[in-house]
Amino acid sequence: MTTPPSSEATITSTYIKHGDHVDTIESVDMVFKAQRKLSFTYGAIFFAVTLALPLLGVTSEWWWKTEIMGGFTWDYLIVSLLYYIFLWTMAWTYSKRADKLDDTLADLADKVTHDVAATAHDEG
Amino acid sequence: MGDLNVIAIVLVIILVAMTIALSIFSRRFTRTTADFYLAGRKVGSFANASAISGDYLSAASFLGVAAAVYASGLDGVWYAAGFAGGFMVVVFFIASPLRRFGEYTVPDFAFGRFGTNRMRLFAVVGVLATSLFYMAPQMYGAGTTWKVLVGTGIGGVDNAYNTGVVVVGVIIMIYVAVGGMKGTTMNQIVQFWWLAFAMMLTLIAVTFMGFNNTATGDLMRFNYSDYLAQESSSYMMGPAKLTVEELGDPEVYANVEVAMLEASSKMADPDTFYEAEMDKIDEAIAAGAAEDKVNVVVFQKNKLHELKNEILGTNDAMFFNQPGHRYNSFDQFSMVLALVLGTAGLPHILNRYYTNPSGSAARRSTFWVLVFIGVFYVVSPMVGLAGRLMVRGAIDSGVAPATADYVGGLLVSSDALMPTIARIAGGELLMGIVSAGAFAAMFSTLAGLLIASASAVGHDVYEKYINPDASEKQKVFVGKSAVVFFAFLAMLIGYLIPATGLNTAYPALIAMMVTWAFAVGAGAFVPMLLTGIWWKGTTERGAIAGMIVGGGGTVIFIFVNMFEALKLFDVATANPVIEWIASMTFPTLYTFPAALIAIFIVSKLDGQLPKNVDEIWMRIHGNAHERWEKEHGLDKAAGIFTGEQKQ
Repeated sequence: MTTPPSSEATITSTYIKHGDHVDTIESVDMVFKAQRKLSFTYGAIFFAVTLALPLLGVTSEWWWKTEIMGGFTWDYLIVSLLYYIFLWTMAWTYSKRADKLDDTLADLADKVTHDVAATAHDEG
Repeated sequence: MGDLNVIAIVLVIILVAMTIALSIFSRRFTRTTADFYLAGRKVGSFANASAISGDYLSAASFLGVAAAVYASGLDGVWYAAGFAGGFMVVVFFIASPLRRFGEYTVPDFAFGRFGTNRMRLFAVVGVLATSLFYMAPQMYGAGTTWKVLVGTGIGGVDNAYNTGVVVVGVIIMIYVAVGGMKGTTMNQIVQFWWLAFAMMLTLIAVTFMGFNNTATGDLMRFNYSDYLAQESSSYMMGPAKLTVEELGDPEVYANVEVAMLEASSKMADPDTFYEAEMDKIDEAIAAGAAEDKVNVVVFQKNKLHELKNEILGTNDAMFFNQPGHRYNSFDQFSMVLALVLGTAGLPHILNRYYTNPSGSAARRSTFWVLVFIGVFYVVSPMVGLAGRLMVRGAIDSGVAPATADYVGGLLVSSDALMPTIARIAGGELLMGIVSAGAFAAMFSTLAGLLIASASAVGHDVYEKYINPDASEKQKVFVGKSAVVFFAFLAMLIGYLIPATGLNTAYPALIAMMVTWAFAVGAGAFVPMLLTGIWWKGTTERGAIAGMIVGGGGTVIFIFVNMFEALKLFDVATANPVIEWIASMTFPTLYTFPAALIAIFIVSKLDGQLPKNVDEIWMRIHGNAHERWEKEHGLDKAAGIFTGEQKQ
């Protein structure tokens, strides 16, 4: 069995280096802001929908009292069945978008690393 | 042994034997602390999702959700939706950064992010508090299931409940101590699929096989919308315990008679049933002392909306398909918040995210978890609803299992629903599969909790402070010793629940207690994790303030509510502040924002960021390590049983 290579990280206050791959505070800020936008957009939608359900249960009689199909009220139907479709859709689309964002940001970060190295080489 | 179920006991023994065999097998692969606590960090998405689901689906989910729906209708369904929704917070905000940061445990994260030993120790206290709150309902589930399954004590313990607590505690202690995280992971995968199979089989049994109600001549087969319409067409009734002294009041007794008349109207022969039930109550009153409690049935009241009861002429009315049985308007929101935020604060679940090979794998795992548990949580409320009608039918037909208690056509303890309905719809075999599923749910969750607690003590305290130079052998030994200690503590907690009367203070106690654990996690950890990950300006003092306000505040709220339910003080004459606190079932609507505000204000006033905050920030959000892992193919799962074996 071959032993996998180990990442000997070089950590300073301005960059972290794993092999040829470098994180600088600037590149990490770029990653952070893009990731924050994605996470908080999805989080806001999730909490808005999730908290809207009890809100309607407190305030709207058509939601919690009117039977729309057999014994199902809108409240019972959404909470017991349809809410899960919302969760699966959110988790799937978020996962795909986050993977895509990871790839984009990894390419960008590598490009930044390459550019910095090239500039240093030219200057040398 | 009375109603002893041989098939059920054999199936449980098979499950236990399999569990221990897997632990012994995986022992060959557990030689380092990374193996013991994190399964070598190379668990694939599907396997990890199964293990997380097994870890997550506890007695609360397997026994408690169906029981809560049975007892509370729509308010009970919210447990299922909230338990599932909690993973969204994990996937959006926590999973990837936690994996990137690359530490062993939540206290490690707290130390790494804020840089002080004090912070790590606060996190250790939070882990232990949350884990102990979560262990309590598992042990109560163990005792309750044993009581229904076996109905008697063994090995010198004469009480059936306590026997269940001891048996589960000892088995879990052995298999976690022997197998560590790899053994636990493998077991959780097997246990998850067993309990998922048991739940699906129960639904299939009630839907397609049905139950032959000999009293009416009908073959009862579950149909969701029809059953919901039937159960919601009349006032919702529920069991209650009144003292002999209370029943001596003619007005109270008259109300009991009216309620029993209403409950009897749903039976095949209402008059005969009513006479028999009232005779039982009268006998209990005649034989009992003033303080003895008698099981009766009462009209349920909607705490959210005022509904007129045309029989009583009061507002004591409730319907199964409407919200408000358990929660007033405050608790409707607070419970939802406790459930959806609490998942992200459960240490045994967060530990699992360190076992993923990459951030992307962590997200994929979470998606699969949502699929697995989502299907499970759609089915559980169906079984709870089916139980309302089928248990009544079985009582009518005289075939309801004798191991459970009934009043007015209802189970006295709704937490006994799963094994009871399995016996009714699928006979001994299904009851066996379900009982083994219940034990699987308890084993898998307790194992995760024991690993989390043991790592908090063994890894976060012993390895860091007591013996930093400990050898790998010493570290693993301390981890195993901690497992043994916490297993005994879990057994003690299990014993104390009925000893203090907590089991009769709340309906559907298992789901209730788990939600308390969620509330503690939501208060203690989630504000600290969210701000620690997403706000660079969070300081150590700010994070500690948040943990004290959120975690400490939640624990105080819960204990005051518990003391009030146990009637340890009289709320009516207590301090108004205590009365206000006691009125809240779940305090998360207050404690979570209060913790965030505390973190923000104290951090702003403090302003003492760690000196290496930029380096920390790069570790949490940087992707150089993941790029490097991808380049070398290390972002792929390697399988649980790879790596060096013990000779």
